[in-house]
Amino acid sequence: MNASYLELQGIRKLFGDQPVLNDVDLTIREGELVTLLGPSGCGKSTLLRCIAGLTELDGGRIRLGQQDLSNLPPRNREVGMVFQSYALFPNLTVADNIEYGLKMRGVAKKERMLRCEELLALVDLEDKRGAYPQHLSGGQQQRVALARSLAVQPKLLLLDEPLSALDAKIRKNLRTEIRQIQKRLKMTTIFVTHDQEEALTLSDRICIMNHGRIVQDGSPESIYSAPRTEFVARFIGSYNVLSRAEASRLFGEGIGQADSFALRPESVKLLMDRSDAEELAAAPANASKRTIEGTIDSIHILGNVIRYFVDAAGIRLTIDRLNDGRSLRANDQSGVRLVLDPSQLLQLEKEGA
Amino acid sequence: MTTQRKARWPHRALMLLLMIYLLLPLLGTFLYGFAKEWQTTILPQGWTLEWVAGMFQDVRFLEALWTSLYLCLISVGLSLAVMLPAVFVITVYLPKWESFMKGLVVLPYAVPGVVAAVGLIRTYSSGPIDLAGTAYLLIGAYFVVILPYMYQGIRNSLLTVSAVELLHAAELLGAKRMRAFLTVILPNIWPGIMISTLLSFSVLFGEFVLTNMLVGGHILTIQVYLYQRVAESGHLASAIAITYFIFILAISTVWMKLGKKFNGEVRG
Repeated sequence: MNASYLELQGIRKLFGDQPVLNDVDLTIREGELVTLLGPSGCGKSTLLRCIAGLTELDGGRIRLGQQDLSNLPPRNREVGMVFQSYALFPNLTVADNIEYGLKMRGVAKKERMLRCEELLALVDLEDKRGAYPQHLSGGQQQRVALARSLAVQPKLLLLDEPLSALDAKIRKNLRTEIRQIQKRLKMTTIFVTHDQEEALTLSDRICIMNHGRIVQDGSPESIYSAPRTEFVARFIGSYNVLSRAEASRLFGEGIGQADSFALRPESVKLLMDRSDAEELAAAPANASKRTIEGTIDSIHILGNVIRYFVDAAGIRLTIDRLNDGRSLRANDQSGVRLVLDPSQLLQLEKEGA
Repeated sequence: MTTQRKARWPHRALMLLLMIYLLLPLLGTFLYGFAKEWQTTILPQGWTLEWVAGMFQDVRFLEALWTSLYLCLISVGLSLAVMLPAVFVITVYLPKWESFMKGLVVLPYAVPGVVAAVGLIRTYSSGPIDLAGTAYLLIGAYFVVILPYMYQGIRNSLLTVSAVELLHAAELLGAKRMRAFLTVILPNIWPGIMISTLLSFSVLFGEFVLTNMLVGGHILTIQVYLYQRVAESGHLASAIAITYFIFILAISTVWMKLGKKFNGEVRG
């Protein structure tokens, strides 16, 4: 297979004289699910609309397969899109919505119906074929929208925050479902979201965007474990971002040349009771670690994880610890000892570098 | 349950008052149209069909009704044919023009009817386009009068159904713009358009000042006819007003039924 299936080259877009997309380059392999992740206003949706042809480019080229899309109208791009607001046609039934694209392509009625049944089965809505969109729940509507865009077998599927209008539980189920369908059909997909958890669970690859640029691009693991800049570190997780002075107060000298540092919240150990301390002393690998005193400021229970906010050496740190049942001893404002591992301190590059 | 009932009582009383306020004049007119003698008593002293019969015997009445009907239909139809595509294009493709359009459509209200009429007569009574006193001039003026209703109605319908998104979705599924408009936009904004056209039609049917000044001596609309005969007899005028009211009511009912039927077919 061709290594790059979709290729974006130097995509530029201005709204007025305000640049929204700044020379974006991106290549995607066939069958890959790539997430564009970023805060609102970072240009991720605009990039998607440029690929779909709903927004005109001010510069750059888009190639899909062997075809240059840059000057094609949306209807000839063979790109499917699912909108945040579903955009189902309210005057058509579920089945007619799904068949719409096939009808526009002049597919015979019998074939349309067969294809429609296939897709209804795929999104598990066989009993809703005659219903109108306004009689379906949000999750069902979005599944219809997905089926509708898949019906015409697009070369590329674009999902523009498809889950953000749904409530948490449906969102989680539907995102698993979307991923399964995408894998089964080997559908090359671009997924836009501002939710980093969604991005981490769904993607083969994540592109983090900020101010109209892709600032970091990589697998979910590498993005999470090695954020390149302060922006990524803050956006992707609850990283502790430390200035050089703060980092040296915690870790002493010899921390490297960077101006700012990131520390994963689960890399700091809290010593709660004696068994914790004994465990620490027993392991020889802990020789390089540093122990400092701190005060617990507040505790948030996130479910399987307990998040502690601790003041140590005048710095407020976020520390995550697995909720193993015995951890919840500490009261607010009680003293605690922290074990810091210098090998977990990440050096961050300057913004925009 | 009790709280609900308590809360509903004042509401009902208020509605009743409003209904009385709105319907009492209509009822009075209705009774007057059939009254023989109604001077010093609360209710008329006798009934007669004299006025109604007299009205229908007058050929001019039916002619005026017919004239009003077709002039209004042509004006509303013309407005629909021009405004529907225009508002669609502005809302979907040229949203920057919206503020300009908003200003434009309220102009008919900014200019008093009399001023507008005099201006139109002066402009079109001589020179290259001589339209004074013709139906063309009247239809042109009617077009301007209903501009705000048509513009707002169509625009609101388009915004309510998120026409831009629907259009994008249809285009990405392979529909050409015209086809997309006909298959997914028009059926969804149709109920709103029905209301706008009905409102425009009623407004035009009741229009008097502009009509009388522009074409009063040449074309007899129902309002001009009514005005001419008011002086003759109040009873007769009442009968005309009531007949005209029932006529409009009938047209509205049929139109709404049509809209509902269409909508019903669409939504199942």
